[in-house]
Amino acid sequence: MAKENEKFSVSESLRKTRTFGKVRCHNPSCMGRMEPAAGSQQITCPTCGMAYRLFWVTPELPRIRGPVWEVNRKLAENIRAQKLEASKDGSK
Amino acid sequence: MALDRKIAYIDLSTGKTEIKPIPLEVRKKFIGGRGLDAYLLYNNAPEGCDPLSPENPLIVSGGFLTATCASATARTHFMAKSPLTGLLGSANMGGFFAPELAWAGFHHLVITGKAEKPIYLWIHNGQIEIRDAAKLWGRTTTDTQWAIRDELGDQEVKSAVIGQAGENLVRYANVMTGIKNAGGRTGMGCVMGSKNLKAIATRGTMDIKIAHPLEALEFNKKFIEQITTAKVNKTQGTLGTPFIWGATNSWGGIRTRNFQFNQMENADEIEPEAIDDIATKTIGPHHMTGCFGCQVHCRAQYKIPSGPYAGKYGEGPEYTSLGAFGGEPDCKSAETVLTGNHLVNQYGVDNLEIGSIISWAMELYELGIITNKETDGLELRFGNDEALLEMVHRICTRKGWLGDVLAEGGIPAAQKIGKNSFDYLIQVKGMSNLHSDERGTPALALNVATASRGSDHLRSRPAIDLYHLPESVLRKIYGSPVPYDGPLSSDHMEYIGKAWEVFWQENCYMAVDCLGICKYHTVFLGATLPNFEDWPKAIYYNTGLEFTPKEIWDVAERCNNIERLFNLREGLTRNDLVKGDTLNHRYFDEPCRRGAPDIIGAKIDRDKFKIMVDEFYKHHGWDNDGVPTAETLKRLGLDKEPTHLL
Repeated sequence: MAKENEKFSVSESLRKTRTFGKVRCHNPSCMGRMEPAAGSQQITCPTCGMAYRLFWVTPELPRIRGPVWEVNRKLAENIRAQKLEASKDGSK
Repeated sequence: MALDRKIAYIDLSTGKTEIKPIPLEVRKKFIGGRGLDAYLLYNNAPEGCDPLSPENPLIVSGGFLTATCASATARTHFMAKSPLTGLLGSANMGGFFAPELAWAGFHHLVITGKAEKPIYLWIHNGQIEIRDAAKLWGRTTTDTQWAIRDELGDQEVKSAVIGQAGENLVRYANVMTGIKNAGGRTGMGCVMGSKNLKAIATRGTMDIKIAHPLEALEFNKKFIEQITTAKVNKTQGTLGTPFIWGATNSWGGIRTRNFQFNQMENADEIEPEAIDDIATKTIGPHHMTGCFGCQVHCRAQYKIPSGPYAGKYGEGPEYTSLGAFGGEPDCKSAETVLTGNHLVNQYGVDNLEIGSIISWAMELYELGIITNKETDGLELRFGNDEALLEMVHRICTRKGWLGDVLAEGGIPAAQKIGKNSFDYLIQVKGMSNLHSDERGTPALALNVATASRGSDHLRSRPAIDLYHLPESVLRKIYGSPVPYDGPLSSDHMEYIGKAWEVFWQENCYMAVDCLGICKYHTVFLGATLPNFEDWPKAIYYNTGLEFTPKEIWDVAERCNNIERLFNLREGLTRNDLVKGDTLNHRYFDEPCRRGAPDIIGAKIDRDKFKIMVDEFYKHHGWDNDGVPTAETLKRLGLDKEPTHLL
């Protein structure tokens, strides 16, 4: 019976997996966790180089506000050019 | 007791009402809310009926847990055959209406017929009256609500109303309550308009006896703790749902310029944090508020800071208004987003649909498919804020050729505009897609393609798929309450195992829609939020009715199948671009051009997509055409439908 079932549910048991103080890189193949310094306004992913502006929901809870447009656009343009080049090579 | 709440059948043509109890056998099979509404629609809508005819039943409900001690159970659901899609119509809103309806004695209303002149329903403590609404016709959604309160002499009356969009039979008109709570998809406000039904007003003081009140309160404390400590809900309580738009735009998942781009660059002025600054400046630091019985408070209050509507009070905007008046039309002004949000709430029209359709028209204008002749001289270009807002007025009042045509919805409009306009219409089953771009997220693409009310993110979207959760965590969530040992992948650009995620989420969302719980209180945006194993106690303590997690799953699956049966009866076929489970060709043919490096070049692989749909059907127990097999219907107790148990 439901009322007698006192073991942790899936949601309760997963609660311990919550991480505070970190954000994840938004690049799908990276998704690395980054721990910004308290109150900082920007962070760069040490793995893939994507740069982000930060917003602090609470002093313990940062979130990515958005990209640093000029940095990430340049990275994306380079990747796009590489992919175009690769597709040309592939079609030869 | 929640079990005592009744169903009322109201015939607006004859003025007759009939009130019936809801048998326990029906509760056990369909629980309530959207699930029971689907049963009622399948049983009461004549096959092939015109959605705007008196025969189309409009069904209104609260959830089974609404107005009990269970947290965040304020949702109101509307269902009818959709005048936008010709298939299942379904819309869900927050606010305070459904609890009031429950206190007035009712969980479900089935409204048929058509009144001779504008009327509104007044439902209070078991009584139902039909009242004249001549003085309300033509008024905005908020004016209507305040006028009803004044007329009835009770400022606690809650009303679900239509605005001018519903009166003018805009096929994607909303039902509204409060300032911005919108039953806002598939045109349920249009169905109300077709019945000359301006509003449903309700007030109740009939107690709902809680089965085990102390245990219910104690359990709810744990529930609240689980919900309010989640990062996603802390963020929602600060920035509201726009935070999702901001995060999604960051990596390149936002539909921009109809479907030309997947990211709105330099959108800093309409980022959620910027909107939050405006709310803080115009209202104050405590500008977030919420629905009945909810602790998250995801709804911002604001005043429009500048422009012709400066100083007007509004609530929101939601994610969808940032898409509708920001990303899609490529307008970068917060004033435009907040003004657009205000206008759609006052007219009572679906922000998502109207933003998508205007953006589609903008692309057609830039391609020369429509010209100044059709727009009556309006420069309907992307980034033209004035033209965007002008089109909102024109559509809601059906002004001009284009306003009238676009008010009919995308597919009828494409037929009238002609040429190859349909190729650019981003829709599924006749309903526009959310302002997200799913080309880099196959699971989300499957979700929008197969959602029962047309393209939609609130039917089966596995949003947590974007979080790259470890497979062990995914397995814990998606392996209960029915075992699943098939593949699962943490990579959101993968196709493997995604069909199961979509299938699981579809049942999860149906379950909360039956109970009346807000989706922000389950596994939608947060992986650690309550789901199947948490609900039996909430149900038992509040209502006395016992369900196991698996039994709730079975109810959800049953209800999803009855929605499927309705859609199949009304013409759904698997590969039909108008009424099927498939996507616009641009998903398969045009790669993403912006966003994170890995997203650039992404598009949906046609063959892998077909396999995902096959798998999704298989999980459901449907054949390759998406039709439930005889064994599936028998297993779910649907083999004799329609059964007319109510």
